[in-house]
Formats: sequence, C-alpha cells, structure tokens
Amino acid sequence: MAGQLPPPPPPQWVLDLTSTTTPSKPKSGSIPDPPGFTSTTALTTKQSKSSSKAITPRKQPSPDEMDTLKLKKAWELALAPAKQLPMNAIGMYMSGNSLQIFSIMMVFMLFKGPITAVLNIQSTFQRLETETNRTQMLGVKAAFVGCNLLALALGLWKVNGMGLLPTTRSDWLAWETAREPLERAYYVPS
Amino acid sequence: MFLPLIAVPLLLAGSALAVFTDEAWNVDYHYALLGHPKQSTSFFHQPNPSSRASLIFTLSEEGVLGAINPRDGAVVWRQVLLPGASAHNASFLRAGEGQDVVISGIGSQVAAWSAGDGRQAWSLDVNGPVEDVEILELVDGKDASGAKDAVALSGGDHPLVQRLDGATGAVKWQHQLGGTDAPYQVSASTTEVFAISLHKTILGYLKLKVTSLDPVTGHKTDEHMLSSENELATAETIVTVGANSASPIIAWTDSAHSVLKVNIMGTKGISSFEIEKHDGQAVERVELHAPYHLNSLSHFLVHYQTATSHWAEVFHVDLKNGKVGKAYSLPKLSGRGAFSTSTSDANVYFTRVTRNEVMTVSSASHGILGRWSVDGFNVAAGEGEEIEPIHAVSDVSVRGDTVSAVRSAVLLSTGDWVLLRDGSPVWDRPEMLASTVSATFASPAEMETLVQQLEAEAHSNPIQAYIHRVSRHLHDLQRLPSFILSLPQKIVQGFLGTSADGGIATDSFGFHQIIACATKDGRLVAVDAGNPDKVLWNQQVADLQPGQIWQPSVSSPRGGVIEISSKASAGVQYNASSGEQLASILPIDLAADQTAQEVKYTMHDGGLEATVDSSTTWHFMPTSGERIVSLVPRPVNDPVASIGKVLGDRRVLYKYLDPNLALLVTANDAARAATFYVLNTVSGAILYSNVHSGVDVSSPIASMLSENWFTYSFTAEALGDSPKGHQLVVGELFESLVANDRGLLSSTANYSSMQTGTEPFTLTKIYQIPEAVSKMAVTRTRQGITSRQLLAVLADSSAVVGIPYGVLDPRRPINRDPSKDEQAEGLVRYSPVIDFDPKWYLNHQREVVGVKDVITSPALLESTSLLFAYGLDIFGTRLSPSFSFDVLGKDFNKFQMLATVAALAVATFVVAPLVMRKQVNSRWQFM
Repeated sequence: MAGQLPPPPPPQWVLDLTSTTTPSKPKSGSIPDPPGFTSTTALTTKQSKSSSKAITPRKQPSPDEMDTLKLKKAWELALAPAKQLPMNAIGMYMSGNSLQIFSIMMVFMLFKGPITAVLNIQSTFQRLETETNRTQMLGVKAAFVGCNLLALALGLWKVNGMGLLPTTRSDWLAWETAREPLERAYYVPS
Repeated sequence: MFLPLIAVPLLLAGSALAVFTDEAWNVDYHYALLGHPKQSTSFFHQPNPSSRASLIFTLSEEGVLGAINPRDGAVVWRQVLLPGASAHNASFLRAGEGQDVVISGIGSQVAAWSAGDGRQAWSLDVNGPVEDVEILELVDGKDASGAKDAVALSGGDHPLVQRLDGATGAVKWQHQLGGTDAPYQVSASTTEVFAISLHKTILGYLKLKVTSLDPVTGHKTDEHMLSSENELATAETIVTVGANSASPIIAWTDSAHSVLKVNIMGTKGISSFEIEKHDGQAVERVELHAPYHLNSLSHFLVHYQTATSHWAEVFHVDLKNGKVGKAYSLPKLSGRGAFSTSTSDANVYFTRVTRNEVMTVSSASHGILGRWSVDGFNVAAGEGEEIEPIHAVSDVSVRGDTVSAVRSAVLLSTGDWVLLRDGSPVWDRPEMLASTVSATFASPAEMETLVQQLEAEAHSNPIQAYIHRVSRHLHDLQRLPSFILSLPQKIVQGFLGTSADGGIATDSFGFHQIIACATKDGRLVAVDAGNPDKVLWNQQVADLQPGQIWQPSVSSPRGGVIEISSKASAGVQYNASSGEQLASILPIDLAADQTAQEVKYTMHDGGLEATVDSSTTWHFMPTSGERIVSLVPRPVNDPVASIGKVLGDRRVLYKYLDPNLALLVTANDAARAATFYVLNTVSGAILYSNVHSGVDVSSPIASMLSENWFTYSFTAEALGDSPKGHQLVVGELFESLVANDRGLLSSTANYSSMQTGTEPFTLTKIYQIPEAVSKMAVTRTRQGITSRQLLAVLADSSAVVGIPYGVLDPRRPINRDPSKDEQAEGLVRYSPVIDFDPKWYLNHQREVVGVKDVITSPALLESTSLLFAYGLDIFGTRLSPSFSFDVLGKDFNKFQMLATVAALAVATFVVAPLVMRKQVNSRWQFM
C-alpha cells in the first residue's frame, strides 16, 4: 500500500520552461517571446543584484532619512522645467518667427509639455509623497506649476513673436464692415 | 491667426508677374482681323509671279490692308492704313498682272506694298483725297520688265491725274483737270488713259465727262461729255467705270433701275438695254463684273438683285465696231447671289455663289463648267436667318475645257468671310467682330438655371425644398448614361493631364463666360471665353439703313441675360447661351441697394447734372474753355475684400471706400492743360483735383477708377526743363493717413453723403512711362481678395500690358530704402520711371492691333480675372494677378503624383513581410 509513490520531481527542463523568471515584457510589440526565453537584461540584472547583494548588504534608511531624500528628489523634479527654460528660449529664438513646419512643431511641443506636466502633477509626485511630508510637498508642487507656467509664458512670447496673437487692429479688421451709403448714384448715358 | 490671411495677397502683390510659357498660346486667344472686305478691293493675286501660289488681298472697310493665306485663312501680313476708317472712306487696291507689289489708295496716300511680306515699297501723298488708283498695263516696250506704273486721280481743290513710277513712286507726269467737275474715276486701256469726272448740269443732274490723256506724256488728247440725259441723279447709280480691260466701259442705270446704259470708253455711242422686270419686284442693285486684264476677252456680266431673287446677264463687246451685245443670261434664283470674275489666259470665267450652290460658267457660252452644292457655310447665324452670300472673289483652276476646282472667298450676310473650296467651307474669318463697338461678359444661362433652382430651394419650406431637390436629381439622372460613357475618356484625359476643361455646362471655374459683342452693322455676336474658336451665335439685332450709325451699349443685368440698349431704343434682352430674345424684360433689380436713395447723373450741356426724383441736386460745369474728356464712375459691382490696408507693423490704414466716386477728366485746348477731378456723385463734392499744364490734349488721356484708387495717364509736352514724355499718375484715397484711425465717421454703420461730407486723404505718385496709354482697365475678381493689375492698352506697340499694383503703389518711399515694415508690405523704393517689363505684356508675341477698349470679368475662381479686348482685333486671356493660388497649374504632373502613390503602395506591400520576418527572427535568433 505504501506503493503510493510521490510523483517524481519534474525534470529540469520543465522547471526551466515553467519558471516565472520571464516576466519581462517582450521587447518588440506584439510578437511574444518564445517559451522559456529569458531576456538577457533580466538575467544580467538578476546576476548583478545577486552579486551586489553578495558584496555589501545595503542598510535600509530610516523613515526620516527617507522623507528628506524624497523631498530632495521632489525639489529636483519640480525645478527641472526651469532648468530647461534657457535652452528652450535659445531654441525658440533660433527657430525664427516665420511660419514653417519646424517652428510650428517646436511651438506646439512647447505648449504641450507644460500643460501635460501640470495635468499629470499628481502621478509625478505620487511616489515621493508620504503622510509626513505632505505639507512640504504643496510648496514643491506650487514651484513645479510655476516653472511650467514660465515655460508656457515662453511659448506665448514665441507665438506673439510669430504674430499669431490677435492683439493688433489688423487682426480684427475682418470683423469691421464697410459703411453703407444711404444714397447710390448711377450714371445715365445721355 | 488672422494676419496671415490678410497678408497673403499683400505679400504676393510685390512679386513679379508674368505670362508663363505654358499658358501663352493656351489660355489666350486672338483673332487677327481685317474688317469687312470690300468687293472692289479684294482679289486673288500671286505675290511671287514665278510661283502659282496665290494669296487673297483685301483693303477692308476698316482701312486695313492685308494678305490672307487661302489655305487656312491666316493673315500673312497686314497694315493699318487708315485707323478708324469706315465704309464711307473710298479705298482702292490694285495689283498689276505678274507684279510682286500691290498698290493701295486710301485717304490722301497712294502706297505700294510688297505682296509677299507687306513691306512698303513707296508711298506718295497726293493733294486732296485719293479718288482712284489704277495700274497702267501699258506695253511700252522700253520698261516692260520693270514695275508697272500707276495712275492716281486725286480730288480736292485741284483735281489731278498723276502717273507714278511703279518702282519709286515718283510722279512722271501730272495733268490738272480743270473746271468744277468732281473727279470720279480713272481708267486705262492699252492706248489711252481716261479720267472720268462728274459734271453737274443746271437741273441738278450729273453728266459724265471723259477726258482722254496720252499715257506717255499726260497731254489731253480728247474730251467729251456722255449724253446721259436726266438719268444720273446721283453718282450711286453709276454701275461701273470699267478699268484695265481691253475695252474699258462705263455703265450706269437710272434711279429706278429700269434701263442699263453702256458706253465703251473712248467712243461716244451708248448702248441701252432694258432691265426686265421679274415678278414685279424692283431691282435693288445692279452690279457689273468684268475681267481686270488687258489680254482677256472683253466680256462682262451684269448682276441684278431684287429683294428675293437675283439673276445675271453676260454681254460681249465687239471691239471692231464698238458694239455691246447681250450673249446669254443666267437663270433667276431665289435669295441673294454673288458673282465673281476669274481669268485664265484670255478666257474669262464667272463664278456664281448662292446659298445652295457654287457654279462656274465661261463667259463665252452658258454651259456650266462646274457645279458644286453648298451644304452650309458652317457659320453661326440667328434663328431662322438665311445666310446669304454678299460678295465673292474666286480663283478658278481650269483643266482642259472643264473647271477642276474653284476657291471662292465669300463674304456672308452674317459678316463671316469664308472660303469655299468646291462648295465646302474650308475656313471662316469672323470679320464682323472687327467692327465691335460694345461688348460685355455674361455668365451662361445654363449655369444660371442651377443658381435659380438652388435659390428656389433655399426660399421654400423644407419639405417642398426636399421634393424639389429630389425631383431635380431624378431629372439629372437622365444625364447619367452619357456621363458614364464619357467617364473612361475623362479618366484617361485626367490621368495624362490632357483634359481640356469641359463645356459650358460643366464649367466649375467660371472660365466659360459668354462675351457678347455688338457690331457696327447691327449684329450681336457671342463668343465663349473658354472656347473662343467658335462663334456661339450671331444675330441681327438692329436694322440699320446704310450710313446709319448705331451706338449700342451691351450689358449683363443678370446672369444669363444680355441687354442691349441704344439711344434710339430701350433695352432688349437676350438669352446669353442661345441668343434668343427674351419676351419679357425684367427690370434691373439691385437687391442690395433697394433701401438706398437713387441719384442719377448724366452728361448735359457740356457739364454734369444730377437728379433725385427728377429734381436737380447738383451741377458740375467745367470752367470756360474746358471740355469733358471722359468720366469714369466706380464700377457698380466692385467687391473689396478688406476695408483697410494692413501695414508691416500690423496696424491698419483705412481705405476711403465710397461706391459713389467718379473720375472726371477735362481738357483745356487753349491752355493745353488737363484737369482731373474725383467727385462724390451723390453730393457733387470735389474730393480731389489736380491740374496738369503742358498736356498734349490731342493725344489720348486714359483714366480709371476702382476700389479706393484712381489712375490716369497723359502725354506731357516739353516744358521748360522737363522733356516731352508720357506720364502715369496714381492716387489712393484713405480715410486717414494715421494708422488705426477710421476717420471722422469712425465705425458708424451707414452715412449720407448729403449730410456728412468727409474728405479723403489722397496720396499720389507720378511715374514716367515709355509709351502712351490709350485705354485703361483693371482686373476684377470675385471677392476682390486678389491683388489688382492695371491693364493698359499701348496703341503704338499694339500691345496690352498688365501692370501690378505694387509697382504703382503711391506709398512707395521716396529717396530712401523701405523700412523693414514697409518691406513686409512689399513696398519698394520709388523710382520715377516705370519700364514696362516684357513679362507684363499679356499679348506676348501676338500683335493686337487697334484695341479700342478692354473689359474684364471675375471668374468663379478668386485668383482669376477674364480679359477681353476689342477694337479691330479680338484678344482675350485669363489673368491671375496673385498667381493661380486656388487651382493647379499646367505644370502639375498628375502622372508623377499617381506614380509616386502607386510606387509607395507597392513598396509597402513588398516590404511588410520582410519587416515581419526580420522582427520574428530578432526574437528567435539569439546570438
């Protein structure tokens, strides 16, 4: 009766095939990786992780230290758009005020960037936000919005330079109508 | 956002304009016309005596001498001898047998022209008007090889007969015809020169005086009076004074055309022939056709014409006893007929052209040598109108005893000059268009019906409109089979880029407008501007007595309708596409201006007078000594896209736009000054005026007013330190010269010129132009967005130029380069001389002679304006002053585009599997 043997362990190739070490997303589009395929990156990271672990086991920072680090990182994120401003400004200046596909695309990107950044502000700072640094984070977010507004202002300046803002009399000329005369004169050949 | 839209035309305005090579000869059309040929001055002649090829020469009623190639009807050469001539001007054209020159006489000039190329050999001004020119076919013996001499008879105070050297035009001898008799004609036989003058008897009748002269010395050998009793009341009943035949004859009838009298020149005997009556109808016209050669048989044909029929009689002259006898007669035929004489060696042939047939008989017997039926003349005519031949000249090829072929250049009653070769029309020249006095553009009636139907749908309730539209579409389905049949052809044509734009009905660009021309002889002729090779229709609209002058004005009050009005009659309306007369005349409705009060002004007693509801509101009288040269009101339909001009810094300079503007030009002949006024025609106020002194008032002063600018040109005389030259002045009217300021009235919705008189601020510039401008016009587009071109007719170089407005702009900066803002506007530094750029010449290589007026019309495309110039020649083209920004040009390669698309599609299908395989491989192949 003791003949009920436990099932033999699966062979190594089955283990390899069914191992869950292939969570990595296939690199190129819709083509799935072959079964059992382990991406080289996954392998190397695993190896490096294990090797680094082997060398120095990292000491976990304390929550306070963690908060400071997160805040620091948050400030870095918040001020990043401001750092791009000078480069953007030079780019805008160089692209000229003519209406060409290149300058139009640049201006479009200039507007799109800050607006999407402001809209995605929550997800940007979500990782860095904790219960304790919430109040400090408000200041960071305000700074982020301010920097993006600066980038927007640069865009407006550029658009104005291109003559696309209806700020002058000629822009509204099409809505002005000619005065109607109350009399009409007709020449009658004698 | 909005600046670019407004700036587009402004930017384009500055760029140079040109007639593109792919458009030249393609979008433009030109009829090189001569005018109505006269029977007496038209003939076939061999310009090169050694070759058989002959040309048709004519000196037309319009005073144009030309040679036509009988093969295709093209003008070989032409010379305008007397601009502005009419049918009343006596003109003569002769060619000696075997000579390579033709000799013309018109006005007071006798001139010889090389027959092959139209170069002038010599010319001579005689004292007084030329009364006749003949070529002396003498066989002197001494100068038989050289050019034949000519004999000219001139009128005036001292009538002269002159013999002119054929090679140089020098006068060999002259003989003064004394007395008070009016010189009438000159004629030459082999031995004598006869000068015929009209002697007026006490009773007021005319007698013919024949003076015989010795051709070598010019001495008088004989003089006698022909006893024409009381038959000749006017010179009009003298049928002919035959020339240059072996026996020249004089023939005349009485005023009732009941008897024909013939005298052989040099004799005193008169043969008299009764003109038989046919069906009791009076003979209207008697014409005599005789050969023009010394060595041909002395036979002649007399052509009788009644209102409904015609016939002819052939007479023979017996040289020995000086008798004239009737040989045979040609039967009576209904309708009108034309006879022409041709010679071949000594034989004489008469060709008869009727509406149904062409036939040729020999002068010797009545046997018909050749007969060809005429199926039609292939020209447009009015509905129910019988096309009749008026006169003809013929060239007969004789082979053996039969006539193998005959070519006849026939002037038809429609005004077309056609060539019939053996009875079938070969070419046709619409010579009636040479006498166009007024013309207009009209949109085709087919287009208009669709517009009307759409309007009807827009103004009825939705259900009715829906039913109307469905029924209209069902109706349209009838055209589906023909559309499907034409589809493959259309696709192929579109693919190859050879598609000519379709007919009038499918004209989506508005190029197919109908041009209606009213001609001097009372006809209305319509031409399709998009397909100008064919006359659409041609109608007699006015019955004019001979000599009656008609001053019609043609206009198009509504789409699809042409209205013709003249001093004598009220407006008559015609369907633009078919030429049918419209039964009911619709009043001109200017829907937009129904609320506006109407002021009517007219030329009156040398001044202007305006009335409102028959009470006079204002007068304009030029100062004493001045006369009104011209008055140009702003066109009624003159759309303006923008009420201001956008400056480079995007501020606005407001235009002074008033529909009631007119430019009045007066000239003072004594002071040699011209004054130019811009008037407000409602209040009579003078908004701008300028006097130019030292103006050559005899040369043309052209003027034009459009939108908010005016322009005029005149010829300035040398005065002090300024040289003689032609000047062009441009003025532009603004509400205010301060940017962004809309003047006193600001943005009020409406205004009355009677109550508030605002004055414009005017900027003017004067330019020196290289040539006198005889007429000006301006391009017109549908919405007025496209920049303008000033069209100037240069009479001296037979050209029409289109000057871009940017060149004329009165805001061009003086003595400095334009600032950056001004450059953005397209302004360039002022230079006082405008040279006509060769690219501005709209006629490019064509020679457009005698243009009297230019009319323009907007096409449906905003970029394009249609132009039509008339006068002697007809010239038309399409203009895109800001380039064709809304239509693909001829240079657009459809085939290349389609090929590129196809190649890309193929490439996609070929490459897709390759890429797929590569991607799969990149996953599977590890190393």
